[in-house]
Amino acid sequence: MASTLPSLAIPGQRLGPVSSYSAGPGTHVQNANIYASIAGPVVVQQAQPSSKVKSILSVSRNLPRKTDSSTSTTPAKTTSTTTKPKLRYNTLPAVDSIVLARVTRVQKRQATVSILVVLDESASSQSPDPSKTASDNDNIVSILTSAANPENHSSSDELRFQALIRKEDVRAVEKDRVVMDEMFRVGDIVRGSVISLGDQSFYYLTTARNDLGVVMARSEAGNMMFPVSWKEMRDPVTGAAELRKVARPF
Amino acid sequence: MPLDTSTTYPLTKLRLDGRRWNELRLLQAQISTNPASSGSSFLSMGNTSIMCSVHGPAEGKRGDATGGAAGSAGAVVEVDVNVAGFAGVDRRRRAGGSDRQSSRIATILRSAFQSHLHTHLYPHSTISIHVSVLSADGSLLAAAVNACTLALVDAGIPMPGLLSACTSGMSGSASTPRDPRNDFLDPLLDLSLPEEQELPFLTVGTTTAVPVGEDAMDEDDEDMKVSMMVMDSKVHCTYLETMLAVGIDGCKQIREILEGVIKGTNRGV
Repeated sequence: MASTLPSLAIPGQRLGPVSSYSAGPGTHVQNANIYASIAGPVVVQQAQPSSKVKSILSVSRNLPRKTDSSTSTTPAKTTSTTTKPKLRYNTLPAVDSIVLARVTRVQKRQATVSILVVLDESASSQSPDPSKTASDNDNIVSILTSAANPENHSSSDELRFQALIRKEDVRAVEKDRVVMDEMFRVGDIVRGSVISLGDQSFYYLTTARNDLGVVMARSEAGNMMFPVSWKEMRDPVTGAAELRKVARPF
Repeated sequence: MPLDTSTTYPLTKLRLDGRRWNELRLLQAQISTNPASSGSSFLSMGNTSIMCSVHGPAEGKRGDATGGAAGSAGAVVEVDVNVAGFAGVDRRRRAGGSDRQSSRIATILRSAFQSHLHTHLYPHSTISIHVSVLSADGSLLAAAVNACTLALVDAGIPMPGLLSACTSGMSGSASTPRDPRNDFLDPLLDLSLPEEQELPFLTVGTTTAVPVGEDAMDEDDEDMKVSMMVMDSKVHCTYLETMLAVGIDGCKQIREILEGVIKGTNRGV
């Protein structure tokens, strides 16, 4: 009895027998049947015609909120298009991931940051298609706009992943002359690369590349500054320059 | 003539709010109401309004004296229930989750969802559920269970089915044994606050169970499993099966409404 698969699964809905499909993410097996565990569209990965492996039946996560699809604490946005090479169910910071984080504490030897966005590995390794870039940029811009607002700094920091930028990882040259107060300030938005998953509490980031560093910062007067060189940002209202470890714009 | 159900119901077979014995109140629900949380929902059953938000699965807090989620093999469900001071008829000054009603609802919710969710997929994690009662008009525990189910589905936490809850009671004092020749009591579904204060009732929560036996390959799966049952009233045992049957049928109706809410939201994406 090959019944048609529903396009949208509800937790507890029976999808098919285990003799026809293998259970993938988002499903569970009970009494020789595959049931959905989460709500979302049903995806069937067709098996190779030559091999004897069955098709993999999985339920993907389709978040209704677009702004949450890029954050690291919620599951990532997945679509059922065939152009996507694989389904992504969770966006966690991994080694060599490019993340956007906000500086929460600056100390003498390290800076504590709170990870806001985990950029896609496809966005960093290769150039994606323009529609995907537009949607990702829209998401990231809205996240950074709300993140740069000082009103919601303390309320959402405990839900984010914390990370450290050590003094030796700030820049690639003149490591011994780094002064942390001239590199970062509390509230800056930093683009960094994950170099280690770290210990139980902190990831380890590095900004020792030209395209890594501070991407958004507010001046002493509270205005959004623009970068003028690799170590200097300027306030457009007052004209005062402040020292930062500035990331190279794309 | 006083307006209570045990006096007026045998005359008109209608309840105080005009419903029949097996009719639910208007159930309206909405998920993804709070963008700051992993999953959120807003649910109103009649005049009972509940906001629920879910955070997690997140890393458990370290240094907890009771061990907490750090050493567990599965995720630990933590529930915090907050009944607002303006939720009832009389305003209460000390709002928060420290009174007896809130802590008892939180304990029931924690034990219900701890055994219901697929917690083995998230070891050393914590799933935090925050329930805020905005308006209380009976069936508070059932509405909280339904709101938590919607929020957990919105958060994408795996579960074997939708846990839905409902209350059912009898239309009079059911203290004496049931007389088959003189049976004038009717079961009632989805009690409101005046009915809860007057009549005996119970709260039952069911989820879809896996069929066993020779009809396991049957296409139409209608079996249910009672996951939660709370009863504080004095009822003779002969009425218990009737109340359970009506409550389970009410849970089935509520689950269909919840499935419609989830499908309606996912279709718009």
